Amino acid sequence: MFSTSSQRKFWTFSDESELARLREKHNLNYISKHGAHIDEYQRYNFFLSPDEERLLLKQYELHLKEFCKRFSPPMPKGVVGTAFHYFKRFYLYNSTMDYHPKEILATCVYLACKVEEFNVSIGQFVANIKGDRDKASDIILNNELLLMQQLNYHLTIHNPFRPVEGFLIDIKTRCSLANPERLRSGIDEFLEKVFLTDACLLYAPSQIALAAVLHAASKEQENLDSYVTEMLFRDAGPDKLAILIEAVRKIRSLVKMVESPARERVRVIEKKLDRCRNQENNPDSEIYKRRMRELLDEDDMPHVSSNRMSLDTSGVTQVLSPSAS
Amino acid sequence: MDDQACPRCKTTKYRNPSLKLMVNVCGHVLCESCVDLLFLKGSGTCPDCNILLRRGNFRVQLFEDPMVEKEVDIRKRVLRDYNKKEEDFATLRDYNDYLEEIETIVYNLTNNIDVVETNKRIEQYKKENKELIMKNKAKIGREAVQLEEVLEKEKELEELRRQELSRLEQEAKKQKIREKEALIDELMFADGDAKDILNTFAQNMANKQEELASAVPLVTQFSSGVQFTRGASNQPIPIIEEGPLYKYEPLAVPDRCGPDAPSIANIVNCGYLKHVRAENECEKAGGYSATLPCLRALQDALAGLYHAS
Repeated sequence: MFSTSSQRKFWTFSDESELARLREKHNLNYISKHGAHIDEYQRYNFFLSPDEERLLLKQYELHLKEFCKRFSPPMPKGVVGTAFHYFKRFYLYNSTMDYHPKEILATCVYLACKVEEFNVSIGQFVANIKGDRDKASDIILNNELLLMQQLNYHLTIHNPFRPVEGFLIDIKTRCSLANPERLRSGIDEFLEKVFLTDACLLYAPSQIALAAVLHAASKEQENLDSYVTEMLFRDAGPDKLAILIEAVRKIRSLVKMVESPARERVRVIEKKLDRCRNQENNPDSEIYKRRMRELLDEDDMPHVSSNRMSLDTSGVTQVLSPSAS
Repeated sequence: MDDQACPRCKTTKYRNPSLKLMVNVCGHVLCESCVDLLFLKGSGTCPDCNILLRRGNFRVQLFEDPMVEKEVDIRKRVLRDYNKKEEDFATLRDYNDYLEEIETIVYNLTNNIDVVETNKRIEQYKKENKELIMKNKAKIGREAVQLEEVLEKEKELEELRRQELSRLEQEAKKQKIREKEALIDELMFADGDAKDILNTFAQNMANKQEELASAVPLVTQFSSGVQFTRGASNQPIPIIEEGPLYKYEPLAVPDRCGPDAPSIANIVNCGYLKHVRAENECEKAGGYSATLPCLRALQDALAGLYHAS
């Protein structure tokens, strides 16, 4: 149940400015940690700004959607939704410069497959990835535990897909709307776009689902307002109805504002990222390779891994902070 | 014991550890399964001596020698009639002769000597002493009743003693609690050193216990000198302390943060099921019912609708 979930308690935020603040904070953290030797002006040119990070992540969310769409065997919707949640949550408390979104993306989908009980082996999984598959499976498996830790092991995700089914059953039973099934294409389209917004970090899955249903109805020139006011909210006060109406309006406007980022800009940002990213977490870098070699040579896993953990502690304490409130 | 064997089926104790040998009045043994087999109709003849036997008279062999069993049986029967006491005879000599006669009869019957003759003797004796036999039988009955009375009295005394013990125990417990409370009160309100107070209380307690030990003269025997209860089972059974009883409290339903979903009865009656896939036979056998996913979808749809950021 959403009302008692960790999703509501720790991962549903009050408004967009809170999300922006968190993202900015970790952007600045990274810059101050890795850019101490660079002067103020150069810093701006060398590192990604919060806006640039945002744009990059939007691009990668599109990639995530495409990846899931083309995934074989075909993936249930719930896995996609869960993967989106993980991806968004991870980058609330981490900078793209620390962990490349390309790698986290694949890890999120892999973990989502597991959590949503969509059974694919790592071999089957990397068959969907272009390029060096052994390397990809190494990266995914290396990042899987990191991802879970950064999610604070809150792995259960409440997606809006089942609530949509619930609303459709309810509408079919209690409303006189003709052929509610025709709303489905509109709903699916809406939900696909919802995951490109921050709506799932701000609203309850049932609110998102209701927004999708209402949006699809208005596209079909139908009006379900009376269903909402006279059936769903008949016993609730007008204040609750006002909150819901505002939420639905906000979700719909967020979806309306979705646009794919300009390709040129993204390309520039990616180039910039290649230079400013944390080389310790870059599997292609010399530092990373050397460390892996040391790890193998020393055969002293606990010691080395504890070193590695200490790099991440900033993220961990920040992940923990919302639970303290 | 090792060579115990049924003479008919030759089963031994070694081959069948649960072998049970049975004896009837003639003193010939048979194992339990042979008895079941031969005396299916309730009566039959002994395979050894062809005497007519009843199944009900078979009993488990107690003595190793079956002849002893036979003798015990016969003695019991004979003594039912030869029940005279020493008081019934004028001289000791007569009584001894009488006992001698009983032994002769039992020996003859056991060893099949002059059986017809002996039985006649018994009949004769019965006829001659009819009155005396009846009188003595009644006397024996009376004695049995008296014995029972004595046993009953012993039981009552035992019960009284037990009650006394439990009362004492309860009192001791109460006393202990009172002392503890007094100690705590003292510790709370007195100005003296806590250690001193503790010491004096411990001293007092020890003294009291000694007194108590000497104060209760435990009665361990009846006035007749017979000890109560056998062996050392004199200690009362320790009472196991039990905590307060478990009280059921219904689970609090968490706030769903949304309108209430219809109940299962409503889902079935209001037509919700028309809009979900019905379960097939196989699924039904597995315990699946279409109401469950329907209810879950509705609950998920409605929960969280009131969520306010």
